[in-house]
Amino acid sequence: MRDKSIVIIGGGIIGASIAYHLAIMGAKNVVLFEKNYVSSGATGRCGGGIRQQWSARGNVRLAMRSVRKFETFKQELGWDIEYRQGGYLLLAYTEEEAESFENNVKMQREEGLHVEILTPESIKRRFPYVNTTGVLLGTFCPTDGHANPHLANFAYIQRARELGVEVYTHTEVTVVETSSNRVTGIQTKRGYLKCDVLVNASGAWSKDVANMAGSDLPTESYRHQILVTEPVENFMTPLIMSFSKNFYIRQTLHGSFLMGQGDPDEKPGINYRTTLRFEKEIATKLTTVLPFLRNMRIVRHWSGHYNMSPDAQPIIGRDRNVENLFHAVGFSGHGFMLAPAVGEALAEMILTGKTSHIDLSDFDMNRFERKLVKEKNVV
Amino acid sequence: MKMEHIERPELLIIGGGPAGLSAAIVASNHGVRTLLVDEGVKLGGQLVKQTHKFFGDEEFYASKRGFEIADILVDEVKRSPNVLTLTQTSVIGIYEDAVGVYDRTKEKVFSILPGYILVAAGASERFLSFPGNDLPGIYGAGAVQTLVNQYGVLPGKRFLIVGSGNIGLILAYQLYQAGADVVAIVEITDRIGGYEVHAAKVKRLGIPVLTNHTLVRAIGQERVRGAVIAKVDEHYSPIPSTERELVVDVICLAVGLVPSVELVMQAGAELIYVNELGGYVPRRDFRMRTTVDNLFVAGDLAGIEEATTAMIEGKIAALTIVEELRNLDLSEEIERLQKKLSIFRSGPTSEKVRRGLEKMGIHYEGVSFQNVKQTPGLEHKLKPVIECFQPIPCNPCETSCPTGAIVVGDNINNPPKIDYEKCTGCGICAISCPGLAIFMIQEDYTGNRSLIGVPYEFLPLPQKGDVVLALDRDGNIVSNAVVEKVIKSKNLTNLVYISIDRDLAHSVRQIVMPESKPASYVCRCEDVTVEDVMRAIDAGFTDYEELRRYLRIGMGPCGGRTCSSLALNLLTRKTGRSPYELRPQISRPPIFPVPFASLKGGEEDEG
Ligand SMILES: Cc1cc2nc3c(=O)[nH]c(=O)nc-3n(C[C@H](O)[C@H](O)[C@H](O)COP(=O)(O)OP(=O)(O)OC[C@H]3O[C@@H](n4cnc5c(N)ncnc54)[C@H](O)[C@@H]3O)c2cc1C
Ligand SMILES: Cc1cc2nc3c(=O)[nH]c(=O)nc-3n(C[C@H](O)[C@H](O)[C@H](O)COP(=O)(O)OP(=O)(O)OC[C@H]3O[C@@H](n4cnc5c(N)ncnc54)[C@H](O)[C@@H]3O)c2cc1C
Ligand code: SF4
Ligand code: SF4
Repeated sequence: MRDKSIVIIGGGIIGASIAYHLAIMGAKNVVLFEKNYVSSGATGRCGGGIRQQWSARGNVRLAMRSVRKFETFKQELGWDIEYRQGGYLLLAYTEEEAESFENNVKMQREEGLHVEILTPESIKRRFPYVNTTGVLLGTFCPTDGHANPHLANFAYIQRARELGVEVYTHTEVTVVETSSNRVTGIQTKRGYLKCDVLVNASGAWSKDVANMAGSDLPTESYRHQILVTEPVENFMTPLIMSFSKNFYIRQTLHGSFLMGQGDPDEKPGINYRTTLRFEKEIATKLTTVLPFLRNMRIVRHWSGHYNMSPDAQPIIGRDRNVENLFHAVGFSGHGFMLAPAVGEALAEMILTGKTSHIDLSDFDMNRFERKLVKEKNVV
Repeated sequence: MKMEHIERPELLIIGGGPAGLSAAIVASNHGVRTLLVDEGVKLGGQLVKQTHKFFGDEEFYASKRGFEIADILVDEVKRSPNVLTLTQTSVIGIYEDAVGVYDRTKEKVFSILPGYILVAAGASERFLSFPGNDLPGIYGAGAVQTLVNQYGVLPGKRFLIVGSGNIGLILAYQLYQAGADVVAIVEITDRIGGYEVHAAKVKRLGIPVLTNHTLVRAIGQERVRGAVIAKVDEHYSPIPSTERELVVDVICLAVGLVPSVELVMQAGAELIYVNELGGYVPRRDFRMRTTVDNLFVAGDLAGIEEATTAMIEGKIAALTIVEELRNLDLSEEIERLQKKLSIFRSGPTSEKVRRGLEKMGIHYEGVSFQNVKQTPGLEHKLKPVIECFQPIPCNPCETSCPTGAIVVGDNINNPPKIDYEKCTGCGICAISCPGLAIFMIQEDYTGNRSLIGVPYEFLPLPQKGDVVLALDRDGNIVSNAVVEKVIKSKNLTNLVYISIDRDLAHSVRQIVMPESKPASYVCRCEDVTVEDVMRAIDAGFTDYEELRRYLRIGMGPCGGRTCSSLALNLLTRKTGRSPYELRPQISRPPIFPVPFASLKGGEEDEG
């Protein structure tokens, strides 16, 4: 299997992680195509948050494995990606939310994750800049954190290159050739390339790539906006997030604050423009929760896309129709944090047919035939 | 009524310079509900700063002084019932759902939903990278003009000006008038960039214009106390042995303007790189419409030019919008204005603008400009192009030509004339011309490439097959080129033949070897140095967007206004890829930092 030719579509964090893991596991013939530049998709636009506090057990496991790998990232790859474990503080504002947080924490602890439940008073004590008005409780996981997504993406790509992976940027895969339910090759402006395995890591374009290969995916892409302030002294260590109030915010190591929210009215499709409404809503909401923001200035505002599956959980594994096609898509708002574990697991799956740390069966595309367990902890 | 006018104008004009003001007058005369916003305290744009008499057309106030023209336009706008003007009000972004506007006096952001938008936001100044460029005492020329001419404040006593274009020359004159010492004007190329008349004026005052010189570094700890300048070699690199110190307390950078295209880009309009117009400019048609249907541009934003053309363009844009809004036919008036533009642009000093507009498919005829285009049917032939127009006493071209194809005539001051019938394409004239004013050109060389023979007097000489950078008449890098052959000559003027894209055959007039020119900060917000950029490019970050994300260039509060073009330039030099292939940095709103408090909804306002 290690000599087979493996083509990866997508140079975001997922494709890059898969390429890197295939290469360190000894795959000799890996080629990655990116239609734009490295980190041009969701990865280069994302918040960089790394969280293990999920409501679905599969996600908790995947995230915990990823955190192990982020902890050793610097030793393993030799790149400092500004990784910092400052924790995630999740705030509950309704009775219902508080109750589900307590249930989640129970499950998360069963998985061996250390999570604290905090009263509004202890939140105030530990994070005095938070206005706790209306907060019923908080949960805090100290090993959650964040990293710089550009650097992580570049690190995987550069290491993969050094290990022999061929990476072509500004090269779109325009045709996938198949014959009797197998991919036989792909076409780019550089020419035709025969391949034994095709990996779809195309993020927001996952459905288009699946369609090119004669299969389909139940995924849609939705715009998500995000903005950043000018940098100041570092003081806010945790990423703070609320599902009912619909926001997340973190301070980067560089000092700027990154923040975003979801928009239930968003229509599916690719749209890179931004709205003034977003800035106003975020400003109104977050200057209340974090009053220090009032005097800070917004410097940039942009948008990227969540690739969404019906249950807000990723689709990782073999295609149900096309034998030698693998997907790693549908990561909604958490593909960055899962990338190390996903890259490792999918590389193992492709090369050996099984995985050593993560059970991917929760994430296969046949699950949509079964009953869905929807991930609720999303913004 | 007033609220409605502000929130839902039929036409929103962004920028109250000559372009925006002229458009507002036209639109309001036709009864169009127009809102004009400008971030300055006073309307008038660049005009407010200009105390010298303007050239140009009678109808457009020629020979009046800049600020007087502004007064006339502002007066007319103020008298018009259909225009509302808001000053100290900046547009922060053209968003998908609204235009965001920041009222600086109330510190509040509000939204506007216009029917049409005319962006006439002018241009911003280029910056330079050199050690010490973050010291106080270093200003853009525009900032100094504002201080001196608008507020009557001199920011120092002894000035060094970098750049000898019209702006640098005029600024020197204005500073002298204001009682300051201008120690020198340094100019990196071998000739003065501005009009000869402006240069002569400055020279008459005893201000030295040092060509082939550059600023090496600023001296000082807390602020500028001096500057080190030096001669440059053929690569525009300073020659260390020629360094000298000048005692100055202000360094003014007058190294050109860049169109302020951020808002237009955010609105989704297509940009194209047209070096002659100042860099990335919006693609637009004859009527000033961009690729976004209800978005128009005019003035310096559409291409760095003049107040006169800005006014005409503003009017044309406004008339077109009126036509659509009111279902009128105003083509007669529009054609009259087009004719004015065309006359204005026909002169030799507009040659650059004409060449630039040509790249967008907008053609203006030049008059009395000798150009191979005037000899159709000779595209296959290798022939000299003589760019020698000033009457000077000189005739080696005539005497060297073995076939008698070039004639200067009885009076040695006559500019040379050439008969292409007699010319054999030997290239001897190009080697003989002491002014290096003759270039060999074969437009149809291979496919869509042209062959250009450039007289070259530097060492080392490039070799056949080398990839070199091709420069235009202003020394800007416009492309890379392949060396096809090198003709060595005893008189040390060698002819280097290069092939380039055919489009560029009439722009490229010089070559340099690709090479880095280390200096200091590229991005002052994020402390990125030239060395950082060079190292990153070496590490494989050769895509501008990757480079930017890796180093955080342009992510600071300035929004990339100064650093992005510096970084692009380094990338061009280092990789030999032309800016045509690279893309401009994407502009993200807000175009300058705004406080959260100004956006926050709540009790006191509309939210
Ligand atoms: C605003 C925002 C905030 C976010 N915050 C977080 C967060 O805090 N934490 C977190 O973990 N996640 C976050 N995410 C989600 C995260 O960004 C994504 O899940 C993750 O980056 C997905 O990585 P990817 O490699 O699958 O996709 P991408 O980074 O989008 O990469 C896919 C690549 O495939 C390329 N491609 C597509 N089609 C083709 C083709 N035919 N040929 C060649 N190339 C092709 C694309 O150009 C693209 O570069 C956020 C997302 C957004 C938009
Ligand atoms: C030193 C000097 C000498 C010159 N001499 C001559 C001459 O002799 N003859 C001649 O014809 N021309 C001359 N010019 C050129 C002429 O001044 C310009 O070409 C002309 O002013 C361009 O007009 P404009 O309306 O496009 O832009 P500008 O005059 O630059 O006006 C743009 C306006 O937009 C506003 N603005 C920008 N962004 C925003 C925003 N986001 N929100 C709100 N407002 C915004 C600015 O505040 C400014 O008022 C000279 C220029 C200089 C610098
Ligand atoms: S190319 Fe030769 S023949 Fe033609 S003008 Fe020059 S010297 Fe004369
Ligand atoms: S030799 Fe050159 S500079 Fe002299 S007249 Fe001829 S073309 Fe002009």
